[in-house]
Amino acid sequence: MNVGFIGLGLMGRPMALHLEKAGHALHLWARRPESLAPFAGVNAKTYAAPAQVAANADVVITMVADAPDVENVCLGADGLAAGGKPGLIVVDMSTINPNAARSIGSRLGEKGIEFVDAPVSGGETGAINAALTIMVGGKPEVFEKVKPLLEKMGKSVTLIGGSGAGQVAKACNQILTGVGVMAVAEAFNFAAKSGVDAAKVREALLGGFAYSKVLENHGQRMLDRNFKPGFKAWMHQKDLRIVMEEAHRMGLMLPSAAATAQVFNAIVGSGMGENDSITALQLLEKMSTPE
Amino acid sequence: MRLGFIGFGTMGQPMVEHLLKAGHELRVWSRRAASADFAVALGALRCAAVAEVASGSEIVCTNVTANADVAGLADALRPALARGAIHLDFSTIAPGVAKTIAVAHAECGVDFVDAPVSGGGVGARNATLAIMWGGREELAPRLAPIFSALGKSAVRIGEAGAGQVAKACNQMILVNLIEACAEAAALAAAAGVDFTLVREAMLGGSAGSRALEVFGARMATRDFAAGVEARLHHKDYALLTDEATRIGAPLPVSATVWQQLNALMARGLGTQDTSSLLRVLETVRPESAR
Repeated sequence: MNVGFIGLGLMGRPMALHLEKAGHALHLWARRPESLAPFAGVNAKTYAAPAQVAANADVVITMVADAPDVENVCLGADGLAAGGKPGLIVVDMSTINPNAARSIGSRLGEKGIEFVDAPVSGGETGAINAALTIMVGGKPEVFEKVKPLLEKMGKSVTLIGGSGAGQVAKACNQILTGVGVMAVAEAFNFAAKSGVDAAKVREALLGGFAYSKVLENHGQRMLDRNFKPGFKAWMHQKDLRIVMEEAHRMGLMLPSAAATAQVFNAIVGSGMGENDSITALQLLEKMSTPE
Repeated sequence: MRLGFIGFGTMGQPMVEHLLKAGHELRVWSRRAASADFAVALGALRCAAVAEVASGSEIVCTNVTANADVAGLADALRPALARGAIHLDFSTIAPGVAKTIAVAHAECGVDFVDAPVSGGGVGARNATLAIMWGGREELAPRLAPIFSALGKSAVRIGEAGAGQVAKACNQMILVNLIEACAEAAALAAAAGVDFTLVREAMLGGSAGSRALEVFGARMATRDFAAGVEARLHHKDYALLTDEATRIGAPLPVSATVWQQLNALMARGLGTQDTSSLLRVLETVRPESAR
């Protein structure tokens, strides 16, 4: 298949390379030309604008930072909509506001271009190991067409519902992981300040009802004091911003997510945003230590 | 002065009346012509387009609701305003949006001043608003006659956008305190104590505040008709938490109050006064208070 790929950062690069390895021809555009360097010598053509990528591809995947970027790549001057033939499928794997995804999808639809939102969980490691969890929103028949591609990048690919539903699932994912990281950080800090070994606490709790993937994985990294990303704290801040925007729009009370989002504001504001999101533990430690 | 005015809501209407009374020549425009009828009846000149308001005025005042409303008006005013003219916006919008408009205006030799107000409909009617403004300091003498006609205080906070930062602080303190009053009222009721007396006792002490005085009274008398429509405070919380996210400033209490406002909206109380935060708490009233 001819696959367009836009957004060749930490996540996008390994994802695109998995597709190439599976025998697909890549069609690429990048805002920064240096992002194209890793694709020299593989089956990939590069272009001067997203419109040309769209003209040469059956499916275009986007993996960029936020809603305005997706909007620009899809609908801006020389965007995908300017070059894509009717029947083109755009798969946006970025994490953006569900409502923005629905809006972009419907505007592409007016031009006969199909759109599915397919955000991912699993971070850079998941991207490198083709082990991402992919949550999809869109028409079932379009989903079936792109599913084989998604399966080359992820180990779990689920159609959640119509347009925007993938982003809703991702927002739920970020509530659970964000609040979960805070819960583990608070528990570990509580144990440590009580003079108890947090490692022993974790070990004991893993067998009980408080078990979670976050306690197991993030918890271990907290104990190892390994704050290298992983998933950067500023990205979690951004994702929680999306959650809270949607909560505001719908009039939804999310007290725990709101409190967690403020902790991530504090993390970013105090210059720790480039750390993994488990740096929340360091913030709690700082706040429970005399000046 | 030759002034323009756009936006005739609860706040805008009395402000227009004060400006006309102070002897200013006023050009007005509104999307629905009927909204400006009262102003025309008082002697304002009706314009057919935003640009017409701009071309005839030294200072154009706007007072609307959302970021997009102000930005849209700014785009329509900019090409028609004379060099040296001022766009004076009384709306409550995001500081970042105010700054962006100011930069675009400056390229056309037009000044943008953000001058959000505090004091609500009552303050607007009595010309006792507290005005907090951001813009070039040299503009102060030209703005003074307008500010003195509308408010009892006008403080220059800093450059364009700074007024909106002050307004965000104002809203945070006010609404967080309204929530504190609601929680106190709920606690008193659950304990079987009369909040009217609790409030009266507290007004003289360290917990006394305008919020307790005004919004606390509405809770005590269960008069939840607006006042200040809670949906406007809800909107303000989206602006200020967004700004906090942008600059990485933690607002733990405000974020929690924001969620109570979300619940208030979900329960269909958005057009009621913000003292309805008490009714959000009453949704989960303890057995003892029923």
